[in-house]
Amino acid sequence: MPSLRVRRGAVALLALAVVYLIAAQVGRGRLPDRIWMGAHYVENVQLLPTWHSLAEEGAFLLESGILLDSVLVSSGRVFIGLLLGSLAGIVLGLLTGWGTRVESLADPWVTLFRFTPALALLPLYVVWFGYGEASKVLLIATNVAVITLLGAHHGVRAVPRVYLDAAASLGASRWLRFRKIVLPASFPSIFNSVRVAAGLAWVTIVVAELIDARMPSLGYLLALSGAYPRVPTMLIGIATVGALVLVFDLLALLLHARATRWMGRAG
Amino acid sequence: MARRSLLWILSLAALIVAYTLVARAISRPDVVPPAEDIAGAFAALLGRGHQLPASDMPAHHHHSSDQVDTLTQEGVTLQASLAVTTARVLFGLVVGLPLGMLMGLLMGWSRRADDYLHPIYVLIRSVPPLSLITYIMLWLGHSEAHRLIPVVYAVAVTAVIPTYHGVRDVAGKYVVAARSLGARGRLLLIKILLPAAAPAVLGGLRYSIAIAWMTAVGAEMLMAENGMGNLLVGGGMWSSRLQTRSDPAVIVVGILALAAAGWAMDMLARTVSARLTRWAT
Amino acid sequence: MTANASPPLLEALDVSYTYSGLTPTRALEDLSLEVKENEFLAVLGPVGCGKTTLLRIFAGFLRPTKGSVRCAGSSIDGPGWQRGYVLQEQAIFPWMTVRENLEFGLLAKGVAPAARRAVSDQFLGLIGLSEFESAFPKELSTGMSKMVEVARVLATDPALLLLDEPFGALDAQTRARMQDALAGLWERRRKTVLFVTHDVEEALYLADRIVVLSPRPGKVKAHFAVDLPRPRSVETRFSTGFLAVKRKVWEATGPGP
Repeated sequence: MPSLRVRRGAVALLALAVVYLIAAQVGRGRLPDRIWMGAHYVENVQLLPTWHSLAEEGAFLLESGILLDSVLVSSGRVFIGLLLGSLAGIVLGLLTGWGTRVESLADPWVTLFRFTPALALLPLYVVWFGYGEASKVLLIATNVAVITLLGAHHGVRAVPRVYLDAAASLGASRWLRFRKIVLPASFPSIFNSVRVAAGLAWVTIVVAELIDARMPSLGYLLALSGAYPRVPTMLIGIATVGALVLVFDLLALLLHARATRWMGRAG
Repeated sequence: MARRSLLWILSLAALIVAYTLVARAISRPDVVPPAEDIAGAFAALLGRGHQLPASDMPAHHHHSSDQVDTLTQEGVTLQASLAVTTARVLFGLVVGLPLGMLMGLLMGWSRRADDYLHPIYVLIRSVPPLSLITYIMLWLGHSEAHRLIPVVYAVAVTAVIPTYHGVRDVAGKYVVAARSLGARGRLLLIKILLPAAAPAVLGGLRYSIAIAWMTAVGAEMLMAENGMGNLLVGGGMWSSRLQTRSDPAVIVVGILALAAAGWAMDMLARTVSARLTRWAT
Repeated sequence: MTANASPPLLEALDVSYTYSGLTPTRALEDLSLEVKENEFLAVLGPVGCGKTTLLRIFAGFLRPTKGSVRCAGSSIDGPGWQRGYVLQEQAIFPWMTVRENLEFGLLAKGVAPAARRAVSDQFLGLIGLSEFESAFPKELSTGMSKMVEVARVLATDPALLLLDEPFGALDAQTRARMQDALAGLWERRRKTVLFVTHDVEEALYLADRIVVLSPRPGKVKAHFAVDLPRPRSVETRFSTGFLAVKRKVWEATGPGP
C-alpha cells in the first residue's frame, strides 16, 4: 500500500485530468472555434482539445519523429548551455566570493551583470554570433552564468566563519581552506543555483529557438503551432517542455542527494 | 566605505575604458558600437534626436540606424517603453505575489493541502510561462492579457516556495506557542504566521522581481507593440521580428536601462524588507 | 618556586582590546597573564567578560589594541596549528567523516596519508569512536562532536591548547563525562592548556590554576592554585579540599564588594 502522501498526490493529479476531460467534453461545440488573430480569422480552433484529438496528434508527432528530434535538439542545446554557463558562472562566483582583492574590484561588474536581463541579449548575440547554433547556446549559457555566479558568490560569502577559523587555526593554508572548507560548504548553494538556472535555461530556449527558427526544435514547434494555430500540438509541446524541466530537476535532486549525504536533511 | 566607493568608480571607469579600447580595436561600429554611438542612440531614444534632423547638425556626430529610425518613426521612446514594462512588472508582482503566497500558505499550513497541492504545483512550476503566450492569446484574444498573465504566473510560481518554507519550517514553533496562549484565527495569521514567515517571503521577493522583469521583457519581445522588449527587437510586425539586423547601440542602451531599473527596484525591495523585518538580525 | 625556573609558554602583557563600531566596547583592559609549560590553566569569568576575546587574541584571530601577546618567546601574528584552538561554537566540519576531521590538521601540515591514518587511528581509539570513523558528524551527539574537535586539534601535536567553553552546550551528566574524558586525554598526553569557562566546578575539576576575570572590561581579579591530587574522579568533586577551594573561588567570583 503506497503511503498516504503518494495516494493523495495521485488523487489530485487524477482529479486534474478528469476536470480537464470534462471541460473538454462540455466545451466541445460551445467554445468559439473561429478566432480573430489580430490580422485575420482562423477557423476550426479547438481551445480545449479532447482526449481523442490529443492522442491522435501525439501519435502523429511521435510517429513522424518530429517530437523526439525536437526534444533531442532542444535538450542538447540546454545541456551544453547549462554546462558552459555553470562552469563560467561558478568559477567567476568563487573567484569574486573568495578573493578579497578580486571581490572589491569585481563588485560593480557583478552588480551590472546581476541586473542584466539575459533575454535582452538575444538581438545582440544575433549581431555578434550570427543566426547559428552559437547564439542560442551562448544565450542560455549567459543566462545560466548570471544565476550560478550569484549562487557561488553568495554561497562562498555565507560559509560560516567558525569553519574557516577552525581550519585556519589547524594550520590550513588559504588554498586548502578553499578546497576543503569553502567548496563543500558552499556546494548546496551553488547546486541550488544550478537547479534554478536549469529551469530558466528552458525558458530561454523557448525564446532563443525563434532565432533562425527551423525544425526540429521545441521552441519553433511551439511558435509554429501558435501561428497556425494548432492547439493539440501546442499543448503537447508545452507539456513536453514541462516534462523535460521536471526530468532535469529530478536528475539534479538525485545528484544533490548523493553529493550531500553529510547534511542532516536534504535541502 | 569611502575606499569602497572609490574602488567602485575606478572599476567602472576601467570597464568603460576597456570597452572603448576594444571598440576602437575592432572598429566595426555596426558590431561593437563605440561609446559615442551608444550616447547618440540614448539621446535619439529619449526623443531628442527626433526633433533635430541630422542635416541640421553637420558638425556633430549623429547616430542613426535602421532600428533607431524605425523606432522614432513609430514614436517609441526609451522612457515610455521603460514605463510600460515597469507597469507590467508591477502588475505581475501585485497580482502574482498574493496568489503565490496564498498557495504557499495553504501548503505550509496544512499537511493535507500540501499532499494534494504539491504534485499540482510541481506540474505548474515546470511549465515555462513564456511558452503559454500563444495559448493565452487564443483564449483571450490579442490584448494586454497575454503579456500580463505570463508575468503573474512566473511571479506566483516563484513566491510559493519561500512562503511554504517560511510557514512550515520557521513559523511552526511560534504557532504552537501562540496557540497554547489561546491565539486563534485572524490573530494567529496576522500576528504570528505572517511575521514569522516574513523574512523567508521577503527573501524570495527579490528573486520574484528578477523573474518578473525577465518574463515581461521576454513576453514583449515575443509579442507586444510597446515596452522594452519591443524596443529591443526594433519594433515592427511580429512576423519580421528577429529577422532584421539589430543595432547594437540600441540594445546596449536598452540593457543598461533595464539593468538600472532592475537595480532600483531591487534596492527598494531591500529597503522595504529591512524595514518590515527590523526585529530580525 | 618552580614557577620561576621555567619561562612561561604563553603570556599576555597589559593587553587591552576595544571593539570598534558606533559604540566602541572595551572587552579587555590591561590584562596580564602567564601560562607555564604543561600547566592546565582555567580562565573563569561571567558571560561577557571578554574570555572569548582573550582566547581569540591568543589564537591569532584578533590583535590586541594595546599590549602584547607572546607564545614560546615570539609574538603572535595570525592563527597557526602550534596553538590549537577549539572554538566555542560547534565547528566540526559536517561534510567530512570523523576520520577526515581528525586528519585535517595533518593534511594541512602535508603529512603523508599512511602517517595521517596512524595518528587518526590512535585518536579514534583514545576518544572511543573507532566504529564511527567513516560516519558523518550528524550521527554524533553534541558531546562527542566536541570531543572530536578537541582530538582534531591534539592530532596536530600543538604546543598549546586553547579551549573556549567546549562543554558549555551540554547537559550536566554529559558534561561530567566529557570533563573526565578531557582530563584522561590530558593526563596521557600532557599539554599546556588554557581553558575558558564560566563554571566554577568545571574549572576546579580540570585545572592546576584558576584565573578569575572581572566583568567587562575584563581584567584579572584573582588567582587560585588548585592543589588537588590527580587523577581526579567523582571522589575529588566531593572531597573537603575541593569544596574548600570551591568556596574561596565562589566568594571571589560572587557579586561581593
